[in-house]
Amino acid sequence: MSFLWSRAGAIAQKEVYHVLRDPFTLTLAIGLPVFMVFVFGYAIEFNVKDIHLAIHDGDQTRTSRQVVEAFGSSGYFIVDPVSSPNQAMRHIAGDQDRAALLIPGGFQKDLFSGRSTTAQVLLDGSDNSTVGPILSYVSTIQNIASVKLGDYTPPSSEIVLKTRFLFNPELNSRWFVIPGLVVVVMAILSVLLTALTVAREWENGSMELLLSTPVEPLEIIVGKIAPYAVLGMAAVAFVYVIARTVFGIPFEGSLWVFGLGCVLFLAAYLAQGLLISVATRKQQLAMQIGIMSGLLPAQLLSGFIFPVESMPAFFRYFTMILPARWFMTIARQSFLKGTTLTEMGAAFSALSILCLILVRTASKRFKKDLEP
Amino acid sequence: MMSTLRGFIQKEFKQALRDPRMRMLLFVAPIIQMTLFGVAISNDVKNIRLWAQPDSKDSVLEHIYQRSVESKWFLPARIDRNVDPYELLRSGKIDAALVPPPGGLTRALGRGKADLQLLVNATNVIQAQSVEGYIRSITSQVVRDDLKQVPPVIPIRLDTRVLYNPTLETSYFMVPGVMSMLICLVTIVLTSMSISREKEMGTFEMLISAPVTAFEVIMGKTIPYVVLGMSNVPLILGVAVFVFGVPMRGYLWVLLVASFVFVCTTVAIGTLISTIAGSQQQATLGSFLFLFPAILLSGLMFPLENMPEPMKWVSFLDPLSHFLALVRNIMLKGGEPEFVIRHVGILALMAVVSVLVSFSRFRTHV
Repeated sequence: MSFLWSRAGAIAQKEVYHVLRDPFTLTLAIGLPVFMVFVFGYAIEFNVKDIHLAIHDGDQTRTSRQVVEAFGSSGYFIVDPVSSPNQAMRHIAGDQDRAALLIPGGFQKDLFSGRSTTAQVLLDGSDNSTVGPILSYVSTIQNIASVKLGDYTPPSSEIVLKTRFLFNPELNSRWFVIPGLVVVVMAILSVLLTALTVAREWENGSMELLLSTPVEPLEIIVGKIAPYAVLGMAAVAFVYVIARTVFGIPFEGSLWVFGLGCVLFLAAYLAQGLLISVATRKQQLAMQIGIMSGLLPAQLLSGFIFPVESMPAFFRYFTMILPARWFMTIARQSFLKGTTLTEMGAAFSALSILCLILVRTASKRFKKDLEP
Repeated sequence: MMSTLRGFIQKEFKQALRDPRMRMLLFVAPIIQMTLFGVAISNDVKNIRLWAQPDSKDSVLEHIYQRSVESKWFLPARIDRNVDPYELLRSGKIDAALVPPPGGLTRALGRGKADLQLLVNATNVIQAQSVEGYIRSITSQVVRDDLKQVPPVIPIRLDTRVLYNPTLETSYFMVPGVMSMLICLVTIVLTSMSISREKEMGTFEMLISAPVTAFEVIMGKTIPYVVLGMSNVPLILGVAVFVFGVPMRGYLWVLLVASFVFVCTTVAIGTLISTIAGSQQQATLGSFLFLFPAILLSGLMFPLENMPEPMKWVSFLDPLSHFLALVRNIMLKGGEPEFVIRHVGILALMAVVSVLVSFSRFRTHV
C-alpha cells in the first residue's frame, strides 16, 4: 500500500474535530499563547527601580539630610525611615527592604573638619539580580553628593565613553523577551500536544484499532500531527502580529528566512513529541518527559532569559544539541538585527541537522514499533 | 473509614510507582535537573565577544582592549582588518566593539579629551548595560594607570556591604529558585493528571458508585502526592547544600514545614485543576495555564519589584512566589520568624481555599 493523502486527511479531520469538540483544549491552546504574550509584554521589566531602602539617620544634620534626599530624589529608591540600625537589619532580614543606608553620628562634623566622612550602605545579597544595578546607583549618588556637599571635583576622565546601544536603542526589555517568546510558545504547543495526542490513542487502545484499518502508519502520523503543526504556525503568526502591532517591535529580517526557521524548528519539535509518545505510550509519562526534554530546555537553556554565553563551557557545547537554542538565535536576529540567511548559516545548518536526526529517529522508531 | 482510605492510598502509590520509568522520573530526574539547571543558568554576564581594530600605535586603546579580554567578562574577537564593526555586530560575529576617534585614542588624548565609542548589541538589555559598566570602569582604570592620574579623595564615602552573599555567588540565588520550581512542577502535574486519568478511563464512575465518601476520594487521591512531593524535598535540598554549597542558615525543620505546606497547596491546586478538566490533555493544559505565569511571576527569572502594580497583585496570588521567598529567606537569611509565619500562613490559606473549592465542585458535579 502506498501513502494516500486522502487517508491522512481523514485522520487529520478527526483530530481537528477532537480539538474543536473540546472547547477546553481549544481555548487553552489558543489562550495560553495570548496570555503569555500579554504577561510578558506588560509584566517584565529588567530595569531595577523602586528599591525599598531603610534609612537610619543617626546624625540629623543638614548634610545627612541632604544625603538622604539624594537617595530619595534619585528615582531609584523608595525611602523607609527606621528608628535604629538594628531595625534596618531586621527589615532586610524580613524582606521588607532591599537595602539600608546607615548614617552614623558625627557625619557632618567629619566632613567639615576636612576629613572624608563615611556612611554605610547595606545591600540584600539574597537577590543577586538586583545587587549589581543597586551598586552602580549607589556609586553615582556618592559622586553627586560629594560634588554637591563636599568640595569635590570628580577626576576628569579624559576618555569620554560614548555608548551606542544598537538594535534596541531604548533598552526596551520587551524587544528582548517577546521575540524569544515565539520559541517558548511553539515548544509548548508542539512537543506537549503531540506527545499527548499520540500517547492518548495508545492508552485508550484506539491505536491498535487504527492500525488494523487499511490506514498506513505514516498516514496516521501525518494526520495526527498536521493539525498541531497548523496550530503551532498559527501561534507564531499570532505572536508576530502582536509583537509588531501592540508592542511596536521592529522586524528587520526577511519573513521568508524567519518562516523557514519556524518550519524547521516545528518539524524538529513535532518529531521529538512523536518520539516521546511512541517510546512511552502513556500520557502521564509522555507529559513529564516532554516537560523535561522539550519545555524546560526551551525556557532555561536556550538563551531565552539566561544567556548561553554565560554558561560554563560544558553547557555552551551541550546546548548545541537543543533546537531551541538555534531557533532562539534565528528569532532574535530576524526581529531586531535583520541578519541574513547566509550570516545565520551556522544556526540554520545546526537546526536542519537536528531536525533531520529527530525526524529520522522518530519515523524509524515508529515503523519498528508498528509495521508488521 | 480509615481502612478504605488506606486501601485507596495504597492503590494510588502502586499506580504511580508501578512503572519503573515513572520511578526514575520521580526520584532521579529532579536531582539531575537540579544539578543541570543549577550549574547552567545564571544572570551573570560573561564571555562577551569584544572587537577593536588592532592598532599597535594606539597604546591606550590596546591597553583597554588587553584589560578587557583579560577580565572574565570579555573574549577577544579579532577578526579581519578594515571591516565595518556595525556589520560585524549585525551579522552576529561579535557582541561589542570599541571604535577610537580618527587618528587613534592615544593621539586624541594628547590633545585633551577623547571620545571612545562603544558599540554594543542591545538585543539583550541586561547584557548591554553590564557591558557598558564594565568598559567604563576599565577605561577609567587604564586612564589612571597610563596617565598617572591620582584620583582625588572623595569627601563623602558610601561604604557598601553586601549581606548574606558577599561574593555574589549566583548559585545562592538561582538554586533555591530552581528547587521551588521543580517541586511545584512535579506535584501539580502529577496530581492534576491522576484524577483526570480516572475520568478518562471511566474508572471514576466506578469510584463514585462505590461506597466511599467524597472526602475519602479526595484524601485518597491527594495524600499520596503530598508524600511523593515531600520525598523530593530532601533529595533536592541535598543537591542544593552539598553540590552547590548553598548555605542553610535557618532551621531545617522550618524549611520542611514550609515545604510541607507548599506541597499541600500545590497538590490542592492540582486537584482543583483535575476537577475542572475532563481528560489528561485538558489537565496538562490546565496545569500549564497555572504553571507558566506561576513560574514567570515568582521572582525566579525577573525581580518582582520592577513589575507594574497589577502584576504584583497577580504574583501575590502565586503560591510559588511565596515559597520562593520563604526558601531564600530561610536558607540565606536564617528565617525571620514574622516573615516565615506570614508567608506560610498565606500558603496555608491558599491550600484551604483550593481544597474547599474542589470539594464543593466535587459534590455538585458528582
